[in-house]
Amino acid sequence: MSSKQRIEVRVNGIRHVREVEPRLTLADFLRHDLGLGGTHVGCEHGICGACTVLIDDRSARACLTLAVQADGHEVATVESLRAPESGALHPIQQAFVDAHGLQCGFCTPGFMMTTLELLRGNPDPTEEQIKEALGGNLCRCTGYQSILESVKLAAQRMKPGAPA
Amino acid sequence: MKPAPFDYHAPATLDEAVALLTRLGDEGCDVKIIAGGQSLMPMLALRVARPEVLVDLGRLEALDYIRDEGGTLVIGAMASKQAAADSDLVRRAQPLFQAATELVGHRQIRNRGTVGGSFAHADPASEYPAVALVLDTEFEAVGPDGMRTIPAADFFVTYMTTSLEANEVLTAVKFAPFAPRRRWAIQEFARRNGDLALAGVAVTLDIEAGLCRDVRIAAFGVQATAVRLTAAERMLEGRPAQPQHFEEAGRVAATALDDPMGCIHASPDYRRHLVGVLAARALTEAAARPQ
Amino acid sequence: MAIEIPTLPEQLPNDAPRHVGKAVNRVEDPALVSGTVEFIDNCVLPGMLHCAILRSPHPHARIVSVDTSAALAADGVVAVLTGEDVRRWCDPVFTAPEGWGNYCMAVDKVRFVGEPVAAVAASSRYLAEDALELIEVEYELLTPVATPEQAMASGAPLVFEERGTNVMLARKYEWGEVDRVFAEADHVVSRRFRWNRVGANPTETFGCICQWDLADGTLTCRGSYQTPRFMGIGRAGSLRLPANRVRIIAQPMGGGFGGKGGPRGTDIAALLSRKAGGRPVKYIEDRMEYLLAGGGQSWDRYYDAALAVKADGTVTGFRVRLVDNQGAGAEGYGTISAAKPLAAFTGNYRIEAAAYDLTLVATNRAPSYPYRGYGPPPHNLVLESLMDCTARELQIDPAELRRRNYIRPEQFPYTVPSGNEYDSGNYGQVLERVLALADYPALRARQAAARAEGRLLGISVVNTVEPGVFDWNAYATVGVPGIGVPEGVKVALDVFGNVTVAVGFNLQGQGQFTVAAQVVADYLGVDMAQVRISTAASDVAMPHFGQGGSRLGVAVTGAILGACEKLKAIFTTVAAHVLQLPADDLVLRNGRIQRRDAPAHGMSLAEIAGLMLTRSDLLPAGVEPCPEATYVWTAPNRNAPDDQGRCRSYLTAAYATHVALVEIDRDTGRVDILDYSIVDDCGTRLNPANVEGQLQGGVAQGVGAALYEEYVYDAQCQPLVSTFVDYLMPTIHEVPMTRKDHFVTPSPVAPLGAKGCGEGAMHTTPAAILCAINDALAPLGKELLETPASPHRVWKLLQEAGSAIANGPTGTRT
Ligand SMILES: Cc1cc2nc3c(=O)[nH]c(=O)nc-3n(C[C@H](O)[C@H](O)[C@H](O)COP(=O)(O)OP(=O)(O)OC[C@H]3O[C@@H](n4cnc5c(N)ncnc54)[C@H](O)[C@@H]3O)c2cc1C
Ligand code: FES
Ligand code: FES
Repeated sequence: MSSKQRIEVRVNGIRHVREVEPRLTLADFLRHDLGLGGTHVGCEHGICGACTVLIDDRSARACLTLAVQADGHEVATVESLRAPESGALHPIQQAFVDAHGLQCGFCTPGFMMTTLELLRGNPDPTEEQIKEALGGNLCRCTGYQSILESVKLAAQRMKPGAPA
Repeated sequence: MKPAPFDYHAPATLDEAVALLTRLGDEGCDVKIIAGGQSLMPMLALRVARPEVLVDLGRLEALDYIRDEGGTLVIGAMASKQAAADSDLVRRAQPLFQAATELVGHRQIRNRGTVGGSFAHADPASEYPAVALVLDTEFEAVGPDGMRTIPAADFFVTYMTTSLEANEVLTAVKFAPFAPRRRWAIQEFARRNGDLALAGVAVTLDIEAGLCRDVRIAAFGVQATAVRLTAAERMLEGRPAQPQHFEEAGRVAATALDDPMGCIHASPDYRRHLVGVLAARALTEAAARPQ
Repeated sequence: MAIEIPTLPEQLPNDAPRHVGKAVNRVEDPALVSGTVEFIDNCVLPGMLHCAILRSPHPHARIVSVDTSAALAADGVVAVLTGEDVRRWCDPVFTAPEGWGNYCMAVDKVRFVGEPVAAVAASSRYLAEDALELIEVEYELLTPVATPEQAMASGAPLVFEERGTNVMLARKYEWGEVDRVFAEADHVVSRRFRWNRVGANPTETFGCICQWDLADGTLTCRGSYQTPRFMGIGRAGSLRLPANRVRIIAQPMGGGFGGKGGPRGTDIAALLSRKAGGRPVKYIEDRMEYLLAGGGQSWDRYYDAALAVKADGTVTGFRVRLVDNQGAGAEGYGTISAAKPLAAFTGNYRIEAAAYDLTLVATNRAPSYPYRGYGPPPHNLVLESLMDCTARELQIDPAELRRRNYIRPEQFPYTVPSGNEYDSGNYGQVLERVLALADYPALRARQAAARAEGRLLGISVVNTVEPGVFDWNAYATVGVPGIGVPEGVKVALDVFGNVTVAVGFNLQGQGQFTVAAQVVADYLGVDMAQVRISTAASDVAMPHFGQGGSRLGVAVTGAILGACEKLKAIFTTVAAHVLQLPADDLVLRNGRIQRRDAPAHGMSLAEIAGLMLTRSDLLPAGVEPCPEATYVWTAPNRNAPDDQGRCRSYLTAAYATHVALVEIDRDTGRVDILDYSIVDDCGTRLNPANVEGQLQGGVAQGVGAALYEEYVYDAQCQPLVSTFVDYLMPTIHEVPMTRKDHFVTPSPVAPLGAKGCGEGAMHTTPAAILCAINDALAPLGKELLETPASPHRVWKLLQEAGSAIANGPTGTRT
């Protein structure tokens, strides 16, 4: 009854042209049509933040976006963070590992993508600014303290001129 | 939790959008506009909203702007809330609106949610309608018969309902110049940081020779739509800008409030009480704001 | 041959333990941060269908008819399941107490909102949900049973008619001379408490993919299973399959905390697979399903409790009457969580006598399930709140009152009146350290200054004992048979000396793979990078249980050490044969079997393993070419309970003291946590970062239970919470960043001296926050004895206090 739409989306730098049902969420499109399972789904109604991706470099809930709305846009998911060939972790990923910023890891992609946007816009955030940025992401495991430390560590390491 | 099926159109121009809305409406089709989707998507996922057709305004880049038109701040309906929050122009021209925008949800929501969408959605718990009531705000809408301008007082009708016709598109929000001497504040109470408010109050006022003038107070989150707290406004008019009068205004506001809503987080009584507290706090904050 | 499990890290055959005790990075993390972990919804099987479940909108109703014809004809639909199929093919789930279980889908009547009534398997989840809308169910409404009071009233409607009552269990325990100590008490401090329903809400909901192989009658279920074999046995029972024809494959989980649910979803997906000719069927519970009817509702409790206290503050008796609204049946083992407090009934104190009067009732709320802590969080809130009430009545500082009543260090091992034995501890030491860490005198000074300004600041000093390493005997008293909880592993070396540990569980967040790798690396003297931990399917894994009851870190450590001890014996035999030395001259050290007196003379484990696998001609007679060993650990020295439920149940007793400072906003009732300090002792910290993560995560959930989270039902038993808009879990803004310090008193009885530590903070934090709130309210003469302390609830108390002042003796308001 609902006719499929042709969409063209660039995801993690790769162009995808697909026919999708209009009601398909971007989260389901990424996860099930493109096989990018790192974008997790915890609530499907916009509260938990597990599905956070970047659309045109700005953080967004993939469950509150239709795949058709991403037509003509660029999407970045957690899979874009790791260096493609060496597999080296992005400084944000490494900081989460080093500061034990995750337990089950289900919320982590959302936190990291949110952090990526934060640190691009504000390389030296205060603790308050970090909390403000992460306030829309729920974590049921860590109690957030190690996440806060992870983001601080990532910021410190990513600052221009920081020792590699 | 997946949306029911619908058809989808993403018109490239405003005219096309209006024509489409009109045609589909005339055919008896249940059509809905989608802008940022930040309110509509959860409703689709829960199948509480199940339109047959969605008309996406996402391609109407012409509606994505923030500009100064001879002292009037004009924000295109498709400007994102984050753009409004980050805009120096908004901060200078309409500091109350800017502050209210920062209170909306979280960054991920503001990045996609549009300014127009928030007004058109008319959620009683949203900061925006209350702010519109205390500022001189007008809404510009385009329908099959062309453009019309709707003052804020006539725009919000009731729970999630505006005076927009089904085939009208909200195109812009216009804020009359906000005098630099004017004081403002917004206070809200939510269970958690970033949640929709259980109650909130926005105020603007002048203080001339220590006396309150042109006081405007509006509450959100307490009734089916944002409301001006006129009893408290009248009471304060001409009174000294002092804490005891602000507290008195809070009490008057609370007492005069008709039928506040109840929900699992707050009874009607509690909401009434919160309005009083928040009104007093907002007035105090506004009066203390450095000029 | 008795195997000795090392009880201290120093006993590991390694000159310096390199991994155990260090906050090493977790082996599970690189994949998790890369987004490449196979959480169940990331798994795809060929031909897979998607299941959606139609759920009851009524709390209590008879099913008159279910018409699925339109759904069956709908686009993409392959199979539809109804109660009739279930009646034909299934049995109700096993429960404790027995006979209070539901089928996986309602067959005659629905007992709660959200109970499955039909299900669809279709080619996509979207189409499956579309088809649900085409199923027509006719209901005949029955009067719901909403509260325990209604449930216990005579002539009440029955949730389970065949039982003849709504009381699932009523039991009284008495330990010691309770009547005497209460009669002799100088003060009896008693209160009523209400703990409202909260629940686990892991970020990932339950999910599974079930495939019923019609050719050989084997069911394979992949999913987010935290107790795989237990789940398999349950499915065999409900689906009438031989247990060896149910294979459970545990995928990594996005959290669990007890409330992962799963039996119903698994059975439904399995039956749909059977109906769909054996095609795999995926079921992913969505958040609304989880909130309404998943495994996420726990502890719906009404307490009447009292302490018997001497004039000097010595607490001599503790009496608790608990009525627990279990909801519609015992399918989630919420019942037995009422028995867990027996393991630490009297907390940290030398209370000589105690009584527990337990009534578990069925209502038309959703069935309750386990949640982190499994019972002690509310129990401890009651005990610690009463301690604070006592302190106020006797005008003794709450820290001092606790100090006076602690079990003393020389009294360990200490048997509590309810029977369990605490292994070790020094409670006073932890108290003094946390008081120093928090600067308790400064907090009190800050409070005094704030009070002088009319502000409401409150401080609490709250303890817990965390029973660690659960044993079934703890629950024998409420109808669960058995003693011992096996946890088995296989440790295998390959021909190059790499090590693989096969376990029966998968990741859930607590870092057990890392702990396993640390322990095995240190025992066998290899690098952690050489170790791989791998999850075996339930049919081939060693007997196992998985996560639950603060046990897995300890249990898997014990299992690995046992297997390593066996490997040592085999390797020593082989090395002795090859080196032509008496086995007694050889020792394992730093990954080599070497001469005790000439360490250079020996063979590395890699060499021995390689030799065993490739040179059978060099092996001594009777030795298999198998450099592998299995070991199944269970806690030593457990016994059967007596008629009052007394037994040595939980092996370890970690403990902690939390100090919280809160402020109540007088105008709105909002509570803010201003300061929070923790000192704990959970014995050897195998990986300190894991321990701290468990503590802080428990604090967050405790904050949720104390201030924000609540499953609200209306008077007709309709749930009013079905989304995260209303179930409010704390965000980064609401959880205090805590100050932490610790002591280490190794457990004398547990592997490497480590105690279970996954739940303690959840036992403590709700009490710490509520006690601090009541300390803040003390000047107003008010107490809040209900959780969560939502602003609305607190405000009501403030109103009462305000009007009490207004209507006070002088009748004037200041
Ligand atoms: C987690 C979360 C927290 C939130 N917190 C807040 C908060 O604190 N305060 C707050 O105010 N909001 C909050 N929101 C709502 C959010 O601000 C929405 O973005 C906003 O309400 C709607 O804007 P939108 O562009 O996303 O509109 P959509 O969701 O696309 O549309 C909303 C409604 O408006 C109509 N509409 C949209 N644009 C137009 C137009 N140009 N002309 C005519 N009709 C139109 C649509 O048909 C629809 O009915 C929150 C949302 C979430 C998910
Ligand atoms: S899944 Fe998108 S916000 Fe929860
Ligand atoms: S690590 Fe499990 S939800 Fe955040």
